[in-house]
Amino acid sequence: MNIRNKRWGWLSATLLIIIIGIVAAACGGSDSSSADTAAADTAAADTAAVETAAAAPEKKIVMGFLSNCEGPFGPFWDATLAGYYTALVQFAGATPVDPADPKAGVTGAMVPGTEIPIEINTDYGCSDDKADKALSEAKRLVEQEGVNILIGPLSGDEGIAVANYAKTQPDVTFLNGISGAQDTTLKVQAPNFFRFFTDGAQWTAGLGAYAYNVLGWRTAVTIGDDYSFPYTQTAGFVSEFCSLGGKVTDRIWPALGETDYSSYIAKLPNDVDGFFLDVGGTGTVQFVNQYTEVNGNDSLQGKVMGGAFISNPAIIKELGSKVEGVVAGSALPSDATDANWTTYVDAITAAFPDQAGNAANIFLAGYYNNTQAAILGLGAVGGNIDDAAAFQSAIAGVEISTGVGPVTVDGNRNAVGANYVVQVSDKGATTLFTVPDVDQSFGGAFSADTPNPDRDNPKCVAGNPPPWAASITK
Amino acid sequence: MASGSGLTAEVASALGPRARLSGGTLFLLIILLLAIVGIGIQAAADATLFAQITLNGLSLAGLYFIVASGFTLIFGLMRVVNMAHGSFYMLGGIIAYLVQERMLNPDPTSFDLPQATLTSFLIPLIVSMFSIALLGVLIQQVFLRWNQGQELRQALITIALSIIIADQAVARFGGIAKEISVPVRKSIQLPIVGMYGTTRLVLLLVAIVVGVALVLIISRTRFGMIVRAGVDDRQMVTALGVNIQKVFVGAFFLGALLAGLAGVLGGAVNSVNKSDDGKFLLISLVIVIVGGMGSLTGAAVGAVLLGLIDSYSDVYLPDAITNYGVLLTFFLLVFVLAVRPYGLFGRPG
Repeated sequence: MNIRNKRWGWLSATLLIIIIGIVAAACGGSDSSSADTAAADTAAADTAAVETAAAAPEKKIVMGFLSNCEGPFGPFWDATLAGYYTALVQFAGATPVDPADPKAGVTGAMVPGTEIPIEINTDYGCSDDKADKALSEAKRLVEQEGVNILIGPLSGDEGIAVANYAKTQPDVTFLNGISGAQDTTLKVQAPNFFRFFTDGAQWTAGLGAYAYNVLGWRTAVTIGDDYSFPYTQTAGFVSEFCSLGGKVTDRIWPALGETDYSSYIAKLPNDVDGFFLDVGGTGTVQFVNQYTEVNGNDSLQGKVMGGAFISNPAIIKELGSKVEGVVAGSALPSDATDANWTTYVDAITAAFPDQAGNAANIFLAGYYNNTQAAILGLGAVGGNIDDAAAFQSAIAGVEISTGVGPVTVDGNRNAVGANYVVQVSDKGATTLFTVPDVDQSFGGAFSADTPNPDRDNPKCVAGNPPPWAASITK
Repeated sequence: MASGSGLTAEVASALGPRARLSGGTLFLLIILLLAIVGIGIQAAADATLFAQITLNGLSLAGLYFIVASGFTLIFGLMRVVNMAHGSFYMLGGIIAYLVQERMLNPDPTSFDLPQATLTSFLIPLIVSMFSIALLGVLIQQVFLRWNQGQELRQALITIALSIIIADQAVARFGGIAKEISVPVRKSIQLPIVGMYGTTRLVLLLVAIVVGVALVLIISRTRFGMIVRAGVDDRQMVTALGVNIQKVFVGAFFLGALLAGLAGVLGGAVNSVNKSDDGKFLLISLVIVIVGGMGSLTGAAVGAVLLGLIDSYSDVYLPDAITNYGVLLTFFLLVFVLAVRPYGLFGRPG
């Protein structure tokens, strides 16, 4: 009997450790097969590129791709690949292998204006939104696969890790995918890391002023997942709202992956005018469902403003009229009809017709912007990347054309661009107004010397509102 | 372990001999005491908030109990650590969602979400529960019958199954959380608590009904009698001529049925989420270790402790460390294992 009990003690202890390990590792599901298939699918394209590359006199140009094929953002793997390859088709003259499947890759990419081939590495970097995974994949691509232009990664903490790694590899040029943490460019400042897409704080430009000037909020509470991207988004809202005189009375940070928000909801004070919601992905659906049930409202209109998550088409579909009228910040309009937007959508349609519906998906747009910048930079140096510094300063000077108009980067190599304040309606997300030329410093509120956005920072301080705040009125 | 008879011996063995009340245990006791005092002070400051989150904790505990009671039944009786139990929970939600979607046939262009009636909620619930129960029996018959007694092998087989199920769920169901529509979703006025959501109250009620039903099954039926005997001494039950295989099938059927039921209720109250399998497996395991394997009372007490810790830590821990609330669960585990290695209501067996 005793022996058996002992065995059971050991067994249950071992099992517990295994489960904790699995839960920690999976943390939001797993699907590792897609990367392998993708690599296999495009093996042919790879070989073709290698053969032609041998003829080039200068240092071979090898472009690598790093995104998330598993974890919470795994579902966006195809969209990020579509953005990457659409830019190669549009600006480097490549041809999609299979227009129905971005994973199949492209052939015949060349530096614009030359016959110099761009070799596309198809052993894609597959991460899972964890910084350590993104870092080891970036190292694999650079140190083993010989990639010298890397496009990626996808999410906040990953971006910070890869930007820090970039400092140790000055001859390799890094362009962000769609990771949105502020620190990546503002604090890390790797001279060879570029982000041709705005950061998470820039995506909230206009929201604080809308809350204060239009909705008449004077007090607010923020609630968001506990990691760097929601910190950055909340920083943008807090900084603008407080600069006008608003007060943020509390900031609540549930763990990423929480499923029962009921007690956080109970904790939300009743005596504030509204709150800024930046609980992401599956959490958005759960939070809103639980909030509306307890509060007996059919809609969150006027009470809630959202970050990047709540205006996501997939989330709107799950929440329907509960989020009708909610105002949110967005880096992209989903209802634009102007020439810039049409050109951008046409480019996607020409390369991958099935992905046209993803035009307003930031995951696609981020990879599209950054890949385009790399190609234009290559064009500017005539495909000669022997002098990495010259190539990098050429990239810093390019102006890319995007769905929201031309985008350039600032001295920290971070995009300056327009932001959109949208309202959820039965048509999806309708643009209320556009905030042009939003820079990362938010009109001076953020700099390399200000504290990193975190649970308590930036502090809520009145004064020095960003330049666009005054024009946002009823 | 200390042996003896009578109540005093029982208490002594529970706490360990006085000499063995080590510094570590004492430290844990002090922490526990401080936590209770802390919660008491906070509760006095805002009674409504305290009542609300207590009810949140209890309704969450209800969900935990329904999942863990099935787990403890299988674990206690058959010594099978069914690592696919969380997958049963997740699949329960997914099946009910898919059946309901087919019944309601929502217009994809419509902005308003479809509204379930009582029928279009109950039919998916029943279909899902019984599908999962049959799946449980199938898994038991195909994968766990031929290797009885080989605990590690069975655990590894069920881990493999759970990984396959999880990957298939992501591939076919996608990553976005879905909501199972319920006939009525509103809040009602309760004394002290204030406005409170009906679905959570229903969840709590269902958990109580399930608990009572299980107690009756276990204490009043022949099946329950064999299960109780089997938990205590499996060899003796077999030696007495009981067809233990039939009982195993029954236990797996019931255990999986409960996981499926919890999956549907969880999907209605929170959402159907593909990453819930690991979470609910871990919770079940913690509850069973805390409560004692095979003990229903233990599962209930363990679930309540876990639910309340979850709920209180979300609110009463300082904002900067609410993220670490989950650690408290493991403090509880350590504490229980230190003072009662077989769990609160477990027996050496």
